[in-house]
Parts: sequence; structure tokens; C-alpha cells
Amino acid sequence: MPEIDILYIFQGIATMVASDPTIVAGRIVLIFLGIAFVYLGAKGTLEPLIMIPMGVGMSSVNAAVLYLSPTVMGTIFLDPMAAEPAQLMDVLQINFLQPIYTFTFSNGLIACLVFMGIGVITDIGYMMISPMRSMFIALCAELGTLLTFPIAVAMGLTYKEAAAIAMVGGADGPMVLYTSLMLARDLFVPITIVAYLYLSLTYAGYPYLIRLLIPKHLRGIAMDSKHIPSFTKAEKMTFAVVICTLLCLLLPVAAPLFMSFFLGIVIRESGVTPFVEFISGPVLYGSTFFLGLILGVLCEAATILNPKVILLLVLGITALLISGIGGIIGGYIVYWTSGKKYNPVIGIAGVSCVPTTAKVAQKEARDANKFAVILPWAMGANICGVITSAIIAAVYVTLLR
Amino acid sequence: MDYFLGSVKLMLIVYALAAFISMLVAWAIKLIFAGIRRRNTAEAPSKPAGSAPGKVS
Repeated sequence: MPEIDILYIFQGIATMVASDPTIVAGRIVLIFLGIAFVYLGAKGTLEPLIMIPMGVGMSSVNAAVLYLSPTVMGTIFLDPMAAEPAQLMDVLQINFLQPIYTFTFSNGLIACLVFMGIGVITDIGYMMISPMRSMFIALCAELGTLLTFPIAVAMGLTYKEAAAIAMVGGADGPMVLYTSLMLARDLFVPITIVAYLYLSLTYAGYPYLIRLLIPKHLRGIAMDSKHIPSFTKAEKMTFAVVICTLLCLLLPVAAPLFMSFFLGIVIRESGVTPFVEFISGPVLYGSTFFLGLILGVLCEAATILNPKVILLLVLGITALLISGIGGIIGGYIVYWTSGKKYNPVIGIAGVSCVPTTAKVAQKEARDANKFAVILPWAMGANICGVITSAIIAAVYVTLLR
Repeated sequence: MDYFLGSVKLMLIVYALAAFISMLVAWAIKLIFAGIRRRNTAEAPSKPAGSAPGKVS
């Protein structure tokens, strides 16, 4: 009978015993954090679509560290650092999630697929109700994306890293993923994780920001919903195609994002039901699921214990807070310029996570006045927010890449 | 310090460019909308009832 080494059988524990104490502590914390994400996702405190697969991935990958060779520790999930063709071919045959990571995640395809799904569930007609006001609010709600950039530079990040973390202020997960892949590949894992964590948490915080900055009598302003113009499908498709072409012409570096988003809108309006069902179902949910899972698996202690993570956590929340305040300032400006007929709560919807911030705005308005309907205008600002975020991401990438 | 001031300048340039392009998009929407509505209004009297122009489905 061969000699049996218990630690050789249970390599997850053996690698804990043999690792640096900081890594061991990191692994244990991340395992419990993963379990907490699953619990909070299932409970509805955090976004379940992202947090449940992410939590399972995070706890599993930090438990499943083994000896790849007598001296090298690692996992057989994926290797985000594999770049040389020969090394990549090896890991593609060994790591079970490597094909999804290499062929959809590290080239930004998954972000585009999520964007296509967002396009299919977005009614561009809302944006067309009042495009100038909606776009103005969306620009104000990008305040965090802009101000965080010099703040991050002052805190020691490079321009590229600062731009990547500043994009958290746009509150658009796929956009942060895309920008950080383009500009700060070494930090894209912690930046994307910080972004998705905060996107889940901050939407719970925005209602408090609204209540703090906007008095109840202004939150309850009812908008004139009797004179909302209606648009035909052909008109919406024309807008989508023309704007997509214009944006691709101006900013080719973000053309994959623009094309994916507007393609989704065109498919929705074209009425080709099998495409609509396919993209809003399997494509959107499949991409979101694998996005969460891959993000979780990327949360290995060795990757996450980057000294810049604390800095990224501070900058991420700063960006989202400033963007929220900027959006509300935009709402107030439109309120004053419209002769006090515009509900300033709509400003928060300029922070672009379709449709969450628009729903937050509608809920706050309805809580103040049960007859207040502001959702169409809030959705307009929300969709404009997606477009302005993509424009700012494209300008950053074009200038800094 | 120069590095930080450079980031402030870059921020202003990014915002100016983003504001210009965003407003261009908003103007494009308004122009196309006005054009389509004008064409539909002009065509409406000459079309028989029920043939709504521009309807895809």
C-alpha cells in the first residue's frame, strides 16, 4: 500500500498551510464574502443576477487552490494572465472556464452582448420625448466620471488607471469592463468587481440622496403626461440607425458598444419576435450569468490583494456619489429653466443603469405624490445616460490608449 | 503637480468633447423627428385613410 499524505489528498487545505499568511487570510475572507454575496443576492439586498454566480465563483475559486506542479499553486478554473499563444493553448485545454474568459470576456464581447440585451429591453421613444433636456441631465450626471479622474490622479494612479476607475461614475457595468480592458488591463479585475459591487449597493443608497437633496413638495411634482408624443416603429428605427452611424463615425473605438446597443434597439423595433426573444432571453441572461461567474472566479486572493484595491474602493464610491449629486443638480437646473414644471428627481435617472435609476426616481416621486408619473422622462434621461457614458468612455480610450 | 494639472485639463477636454457630441446627438434626434413629421404631414392629405406612413408592423 502506498504511503498516504492526508495534505496531498486535501490540497485546498495543504495550499493554505503552505501559503503566505496574508494570502491565507485573503482566501478565507473571500470565501466568506462569496457566501455573503450569495445570501444577500438571494435575499434581494444585492443584485441577484450578478451576485449569486459571482459569490459561488468567488468562494469556490478561493477554496480550490491546488498544486499545479510541486512548486506552483493555482486553480483549474482560469488563468487571467495567460497571454503567450503556447501558454494560452495549454490553459485552454486545462482550465474549464478559460474558453469563456478568453473568447468572450478578455476581448469585451460579453460587455457587448449585455449591451445588446439592454438595447432590446430599451424603448428609445422615451429619449425622443425631450432629447435636449434628457441629454443635459445625462451630462450633469457624468460629473463623477469626470471629477474622479483628477482625484484619482492626485491619489497616485496613472491617467489610464484613473480614467478606468472614473468610469464607475457612469454606473454602467459593461462600460466599466470595456474601458478598464482597454486602458488598465492589470487592474481590470478589481475595477470591474468594485464597479459591480457598488452598482448593487448604491441603488439602495440613491433614494436617501434624493430625500436629502430634494424637499418632498418638489419630489411630488406631477409632469404633464397627456401631451407625450407617440413615435412609430419606423421613426424609432430611423433614429437608432442614424445615431449609431453618427456615433461610430465620430468615435470608432467604442463602435462595438454603440453597434451592440443600437442593434438591440433596432431588433426590438423591427418586431422580429424570435430575435427579440433570443436576445432579451438567452443572450442577455446567459451573458449576465457568465459575467457574474467569471467575475467571481477572478476574485482570487492573489489578484484581489492588490494594494490599489482600497484606493479603487474609495474612488468608486466617490464617483457614484458625485454622479448622483451631479444628476440632481441637472434636475434642479431643468426645474428652474422650465418654469418649475419639471420634477428634479428625474435628475438621478441621468446616472445610467437602465432601468434601475429611472425606477428609483419614479418610486421616490410616487412616495411624495401618488399621482406623480415621471417614468417616461426618467427613462429618457436614463437612455441618454447610457449614450453619454459610452461617449465619455470612447473619448477617454481614444485620448489615452 | 504638472501631472495633476494635466489631468484637470484632460478632464475639461473630455467633458467639452462629450458635451459637444451628446448635444449633436440630441440635435440630430430633433432634426430627424422634425423632418419625418413634416414629411408625414405633407403626405397625409394625399394618402387614403388607413395607410399609416412609416409603420413597420
